[in-house]
Amino acid sequence: MKLFLSGGLFALSWVAGLFFLRYWKKSQDRFFAFFAGAFWLIALQRLLLLDPGTRFVAYCVRLLAFVVILFAIFDKNRAPRR
Amino acid sequence: MTEAIYLLCAVASIACAALLLRGYMASRVRLLLWSGLCFAGYAVNNLLLVFAPVLSPGWTEMPVREAVALVSTGLLVFGLVWESE
Repeated sequence: MKLFLSGGLFALSWVAGLFFLRYWKKSQDRFFAFFAGAFWLIALQRLLLLDPGTRFVAYCVRLLAFVVILFAIFDKNRAPRR
Repeated sequence: MTEAIYLLCAVASIACAALLLRGYMASRVRLLLWSGLCFAGYAVNNLLLVFAPVLSPGWTEMPVREAVALVSTGLLVFGLVWESE
């Protein structure tokens, strides 16, 4: 069950990243590029969680993904036309 | 140290959800709503992780926590597909 959920989360995060990449390509708005990067970091974090030895690193990667999202929001608010 | 990272993840995901949903309220761009709901799910996931020792010692390995994240990410992907041309 745990592996099924992890696999599902990895795949969905990867696909979400691909969608954001397409939005970035279409709009040239780097807000979407940050989102794509963040969701791929979340996908990477899912892989790292499979090994109990890299659990701490995995949660650091997850935190980094959230920080990227926060940075994207602040960047967007600072330059609303981009 | 690990608990501190869990707490930081929870705080950061709550901030992401709040800012994205606030952005949706201001602009009515539905992509922000889907993203905000997704991060609200991550916030629940992270809060369950932080409070796992209080709730139950076995909670860190319980699938409920990951199921919340799966549903919220699924909701986002649904929104991305729905909004795409």
